[in-house]
Parts: sequence; C-alpha cells; structure tokens
Amino acid sequence: MTAIELRGVTKEFADVTAVRGLDLAVEEGEVYGFLGPNGAGKSTTIDMVLDLVRPTEGTVRVLGRDATADGVAIRKRTGVLPDGFAVYDRLSGRQHVEFAVRSKEADDDPDALLDRVGLLNDADRKAGGYSKGMRQRLALAMALADDPDLLILDEPSSGLDPAGAKEMREIVRTEADRGATVFFSSHILEQVEAVCDRVGILREGELVAEDSVEGLREAVGGEETLEIAIAGGDADGASDSAVEAVRDLDGVSRVDRDGDTLVVSCADGAKTRVIGALEDGGITVDDFHTREASLEDLFLAYTEGDAPGEGGEDVDGGNAAEGTDTADTADTADTADAVDDEEVSR
Amino acid sequence: MSLPAIAEKDFQDTVRSRGMLVLVALFSLLVAVFAYVFAPPGQQFATEFLLSAAVGPFLVTTLVPLVGVVVGYNAVSGERESGSLKLLLSLPHSRADVVFGKVVGRGAALSLAVFSGFLLPALVLLALSQLGYIQAFNVGSYLGYTVFAAVLGVVFVAIAVGCSAAATTQRQALIGGVAIYVLFVMLWGAVTGQFLGAAADAGLIDPLPVSRQQISVFLQVANPITGVELLSNAFLGDQLFSGEAVNQQISAVSMLVFWTIAPPLAGLWKFDADDL
Repeated sequence: MTAIELRGVTKEFADVTAVRGLDLAVEEGEVYGFLGPNGAGKSTTIDMVLDLVRPTEGTVRVLGRDATADGVAIRKRTGVLPDGFAVYDRLSGRQHVEFAVRSKEADDDPDALLDRVGLLNDADRKAGGYSKGMRQRLALAMALADDPDLLILDEPSSGLDPAGAKEMREIVRTEADRGATVFFSSHILEQVEAVCDRVGILREGELVAEDSVEGLREAVGGEETLEIAIAGGDADGASDSAVEAVRDLDGVSRVDRDGDTLVVSCADGAKTRVIGALEDGGITVDDFHTREASLEDLFLAYTEGDAPGEGGEDVDGGNAAEGTDTADTADTADTADAVDDEEVSR
Repeated sequence: MSLPAIAEKDFQDTVRSRGMLVLVALFSLLVAVFAYVFAPPGQQFATEFLLSAAVGPFLVTTLVPLVGVVVGYNAVSGERESGSLKLLLSLPHSRADVVFGKVVGRGAALSLAVFSGFLLPALVLLALSQLGYIQAFNVGSYLGYTVFAAVLGVVFVAIAVGCSAAATTQRQALIGGVAIYVLFVMLWGAVTGQFLGAAADAGLIDPLPVSRQQISVFLQVANPITGVELLSNAFLGDQLFSGEAVNQQISAVSMLVFWTIAPPLAGLWKFDADDL
C-alpha cells in the first residue's frame, strides 16, 4: 500500500498558487525526504496531507484513506511533528504527552516517551519555559505516541543543535526499522541525506527531481573535490609543470590554482594518482582534504534553475556557507572524517 | 470521540491562567461588598433579597456575561494565531471535537470560577448567621442561585467560542466578542424593538397566530440574560416551573439551550471549511 499518495494536486490561495499539479507517492516503510527551499510549497503539501488545508484540485490519500473525509482515522495512525506550532504555555511537558497518548487512545507511558526525546528531566516544567529545541523534542514525543504507522516530520531539525539533530536522525532510523513510513521535510540537505531512502525536490510548487540519494549523487557526476596545500618554496616553473601533469591525468576534470592551494575536481579513484603526480613533479604536499560532491550542489542546481551537473564545482564553498549553522557543522565533521580516512589509507 | 480529552486539557489550561484567580477574587469581593451593604449587622437579612435585588442585577447580569465572553472569545482563534492549533489537530481530533471540547472545557472552568467566587462569601455569611450576627442565611437559595449564574456564564462562553471558531484572526474574534457583549447586555431591547417594529410595519405580524405583545415578550426572554433572571427569580420565589409564568420559563429554558448549541455550530460551519 502507498502511505501517501497525491494525484494532480493543486492548491491556490487568494494571492498565490502554492502547489501545482503535484504527483507524489511515498511507499509504505520508506524514509522519504521532501526537500525544497523555504516557500517551495512543502508545508502546504504537508498541511494538505494532514487536512489542515484542502486542495483546490486533485486527490490526497493517506494510508489508503481520503485525507479530508477520514482525517481523524488517518491521524490516529499518524505521528506528526508540525512546523511553526506553539505549545500550551501553562501545561507541563508531561501533560502535553499525556494529552497526546489520551487523544490517540493509546497506553504508552508518557515518561518513556519523554525519556526517548531527552526531556524526562524537564517533564514537570511548564512548556512555556521550554527553548525552541525542547518544544521540538516535546512535539516529537507526542508524535511518537502509539507507535504510528506514518511519521510526518516538518522541518524536524529546526531549533535543534547538532547533537539534537543527530538524536532526531537516530529516532527516525529506529522508527523506520520498526516498519514505520517516515515523511520528512527539510531545507537542510545533510539532515535528509543521512536518513532518507528516497528524496524528492520541490521547487515553486512542483516536484523537479525524485530519486534515491545515490541516484541523485550520480546525477551530480560522482566527482570529488580535492583541496591540496602545497609548499610555497618551490620554483614556479616546477610547480606549473606538475600542475599540468595533474591536469592530464585520467579522471581529472579540472584543476585550479590559488596561490599555495590546488583545487582539483576528479573521479573518486583518481585521488591517489593526483597526489602521486604532484610528488613526482617535485612538489611537497603539506596537507589535503577531500569533499564529496554533496547533495547541496544538486539541490542548488535544481532549486536555482541550473541543470544538474553543470554547476558541480562552482556550487561549492560559497554556497555551502549559506546553509544554517547546523549544516556547516555537519559539513566540517564530514571533511575531517575524510581527511582521517585518507591518512589511514596512505 | 476525543471531545472529553480536549475539554479536559482546555479546562486544565484555563484554570491555570492568572485571569481565573483574578476572577474568583473579584466575584468574592463583590459578593461580599453587596452582602455587607445590604445586610448591616443586626438588621433583618434576606438571602433572596440580596440575590435578586443586588447580586443579580448588578453583578450577575453584567459581570458574568463579560467574563463568559472573555473566557471564550480566544478559545479557537487564539490557538489558531499562536500555532498550538496545529499541534492539537495533528492528533486525531475532528474540528467539531475542538469547538465543542472548548465549550465544555471553558464552560467548566468558568463554572468553577463562579462557584469558588460565590462560595467564599457564602462561608462568611454562613459563619455570621451561625454566630447570630445575621438572621437566617438560606444556603439552598444561595447555592441554587449560583447554579443559575454559572449557566448564564456557560451560555456566553458558548456564544463567544462560536464567534472565535468563525474568526480568522484574534482581532476579528475580539471585535465579535465586544459585539456580543454590547448586543446582549446593552442593546437587546432596542434592537429587538426595532426589528419587531419593522416586521409589524411590513405586515409580517398580523398573519401570525400570535399577538405582537407575545412576540415582544418572547424576544425579551430570548436574551439569555433575561431568561436567567426570569428563572432565578422564579426559583428564589419558589415559583420555578409552577404558577402563571410557566410558559415563559419554558421559553427561557429552550432559548438558553439554543444559545448554547447554535453559535458553536454556526462557528464550526465556517471553521470546518477554512484552510488553517
């Protein structure tokens, strides 16, 4: 059975068409990442799945039922972490979770749910005093009540620090392993990349790409970017010829030199040969690190209108810096790991 | 059926608001002031007179509707504006459960406030009568009257919640709440009089099998405030559902039921069709 199925869905508001002609199918048991920049129509789509907003055209079916006619029955088997929600300031965290458990006619232990999201120590505090991240955890605990068949998480990492975002991903994994379908929206790629089986990219209300994470990575070209710091003392002539040698290597598509740094775009297997060629040409390699072509490149290519692949090397550093702090932190961690791997392999 | 869950949560949420404490204190204070003013120590004290001549007209018929509107006007629109409605509707609740759960939860919270507010002065009056400072404090009349006050409050909560459900913004809900109060407390007689006059001029009354006088009385009783006054005075005079005015009393009761159910239904009709 299909967990979420949208057919020809269009939603027009008074002043804007938020979603147009959207077809989307999320299969049971998969983790589906729903990506797009802010304002692409992600939240409107999720609101239609939850029957907060009714489509102008088309049909929305969730867990085999009509979203509008059977909303209550659907939400009985669904856990939702909404976007832009507020808590009840005067009620404690535990009262919130108790309310969710009671609403779903479940028999979960509220404290166990609070413990899962790391809020047990704050369970008796009024939720009005919670930070954004704690509110996010609280809503997640409410969503997890009664082991839902479908989890819908709208921008789940917003307000969470990197450690919190990681815990969120682990919970998503656990739920998926249990057999739940997870529908996960985000404008931050690293969040989606780490947990999703399949990714759809929404742009201006239309689905512009849908594939597995590997499939999308291949679409970017499967290249890696190598940043090499070379010793500054070498004669320019010698280093120029070494750079030329690198440029001629199989699998190297581009070499840029910026003072003492070489930026090389190359196929996955060519890295060792690049380093070797530099050392053969008499250049001392002080340090280097690799950056795997990230989904961010593809994401930006799709959402900013370039064709995929073309923008590969150009869409690096500068654009990555536009992501949030969380994304940057994750990026740095990945790069550090990559360097470690390389040093071990040498 | 998730209405009880919403009602309970909303009750818990409402009774924790600071406004509720203020409300209880205000009721207690005003009832105590009236009791003091109308029952100087050593003189004849009549519970019924205190209630129907002082507490009724000055406190219950003006303050209780106001409190009902204040408790109810932001019930749905407030959650809609803050975003907690998203959390509420992500759980398996229908929008009808939300609207009627709010009526029940906030109505119960307001009733609690009215009872607590009347209870504290009652304890004082009871103690004074036991000690012989005042004569014959009638506990039964006092408690019965409190029930009528609470009923009036619940009716206004229901009207205000209906308005709140229909409103798209808090601002609209606030305007609606003020309009409700002004209409029922201040302008009811004038508005219905105009309405009746216009209907009579248009020749709509004559074909009906009732007189203009009867319709006029019915319209007066249709105001929940007048209805509750009528019923509570009958209760204090031992005339409830007996005597000459029993027809009027039945009209009053049916109109109270109408005002409790129809406004939330009308609000739900709009709320149910809205994009949130």
